[in-house]
Amino acid sequence: MMFAHGFGCDQTMWRLVAPGFETNFGVVTFDYLGAGGSDKSAYDRDRYASLAGYVSDVVEIGRELDLRDAVFVGHSASAMIGALAAIREPDMFSDLVMVCPSPRYVDGPDTGHRGGFSQGDIDNLIRSLEENPLAWSASMAPAIMGTPKDPMLGAELTESFCRLDPRIARDFARAIFNADNRADLPNVTARTLILQCRQDILAEVSVGEYVRDMVPDSSLVVLDATGHCPHLSAPDQVVAAMRGFL
Amino acid sequence: MSADGEAAPTRDLLDDAPCGFLLIDELGQVISANRTLSEWIGVAPDDITGRSVTAIFGLASSVVFETSLLPLLRLQQDVSGVSLDLAANDGTSTPVMISANTHGDGASRITRLVLVKAAARREYERELIDARASAETRLSAEQDHGELREQFVAVLGHDLRNPVASMSSAIRMLSRDLDEAKKAELLLLMQGSVQRMSRLIDNVLDFARNRLGGGIELDIGNGDLKSAIVQAVDELKSVDPNREIELDLSITEQVDCDTWRIGQLVSNLLGNALVHGDPAHPVTLDVSTQAPGHLEISVCNKGEPIPDESMAKLFDPFERNGAAGKQGLGLGLYIASEIAKAHGGAIDVTCDEVICFTFRMPAAA
Repeated sequence: MMFAHGFGCDQTMWRLVAPGFETNFGVVTFDYLGAGGSDKSAYDRDRYASLAGYVSDVVEIGRELDLRDAVFVGHSASAMIGALAAIREPDMFSDLVMVCPSPRYVDGPDTGHRGGFSQGDIDNLIRSLEENPLAWSASMAPAIMGTPKDPMLGAELTESFCRLDPRIARDFARAIFNADNRADLPNVTARTLILQCRQDILAEVSVGEYVRDMVPDSSLVVLDATGHCPHLSAPDQVVAAMRGFL
Repeated sequence: MSADGEAAPTRDLLDDAPCGFLLIDELGQVISANRTLSEWIGVAPDDITGRSVTAIFGLASSVVFETSLLPLLRLQQDVSGVSLDLAANDGTSTPVMISANTHGDGASRITRLVLVKAAARREYERELIDARASAETRLSAEQDHGELREQFVAVLGHDLRNPVASMSSAIRMLSRDLDEAKKAELLLLMQGSVQRMSRLIDNVLDFARNRLGGGIELDIGNGDLKSAIVQAVDELKSVDPNREIELDLSITEQVDCDTWRIGQLVSNLLGNALVHGDPAHPVTLDVSTQAPGHLEISVCNKGEPIPDESMAKLFDPFERNGAAGKQGLGLGLYIASEIAKAHGGAIDVTCDEVICFTFRMPAAA
């Protein structure tokens, strides 16, 4: 079972969910390039200009681990990255769990699509991330002040978690928020579970319903949680929904 | 002191502190905000209560808040120094620095945020980023320059070695007992070598002056144009007597120019044509004046056409245009074009049956 983090943090996002599956599955978590402990020198702007570069990375990890009929769990942008990887390598991933997915953030007034953002919003978003690279200054800080109050966290983990390279994060944001993967959804053959929260500014419940309607073998569970990160705010519900699905 | 008396200063501190205070619940909804914050965003304190906290931020900041700050708070309960933008009701945006901590478990979890205005700091950070970008640009330009200089020195050394070697062997031969005819031949060769070295040195000095910002200096009306051109032709002929140069001179009008420089331009264009042209065919040089002040000099040769990729860089310094192993610093055409520019003229290249470099002053409109 492969866990992929979304925009804004790294694999530590899964630490309240992933361990719950370790008894029944081989669990893999990883950092995308630019996040956490990844080797930032390997970054290639052209390769990661669209989600395709990230999809290739997932497929490469899957090949390296010789994955067959594995479960891919992707949060936010990774839900679409997982869908694209499963389309490219149908034998690699038999099951998909999409946490707060959105195939298209930009509204389409002509098609009636509701992504929640106008193109102007997205352009503003990218621009202000460019102008204020220190928006991530807390997550960029090499050492976080004070001792973590959570005893589960080891010191070496604290050193790097959610650390982002601001330039790579900006490119990642551009790739994510300009992506349009609606046409890909009907091609997903993997069994799919969609988890959505109430009051998620990035993906409303209606977006989850849209994904459910477009992905052939899929079901939607709306969690009793708010925000964009239920795997942190409501990990028990996420684990329960995933167990039910698997 | 009454209970009220004790609470009033505290309330005053909280409400009118020079920073924003914000309490949010487990669901990310505002429990309360102080007056300073409500004034910053132009929303009454009561109206903030119950709202989603992301509503007080601009879009990008709310995305960062949701995807980065909240997860960090979940993971470590304490975050400081986050740089975000508040969005006021009137559309203005206020850069703030945020520190936050979280206490409690489950539904009773409460998060406190302190927001401090940070416009000056944001400005300073932006200046630092700009300064770093411009330092990086300068550094990379300096590195390019350094590389160019190294290459230049290497090529110069290489090109000076040939005439020096031929001088040296000619001197060795002259020290033996030779007949007059052989001596004359050797002296001619030596003369050619000296001229080659002298041209190289002239070009290097011009290049250095130009790079230092001095430009090509002109001394207008400093001599006879016709004899300067003839001299340039003779010099080149003396170096390689087997090559034919067909000269057609028709200077009928008065032209204000630096004759020594025009001679150098002709010499550089001829030198280029002799290096690249087919030795089986003559190089032609046509000089004409159509009207007072108008000068046209055309140097043509037969030979391999100039590849398209070389065309664009023909007049760049150190471009040797595929003349690997052939002599030259790659400065000849560059300096010829600088001389042309200094005269308000230009050099055009046509590449059909024959390859022609044509200098016109003033430049064709």
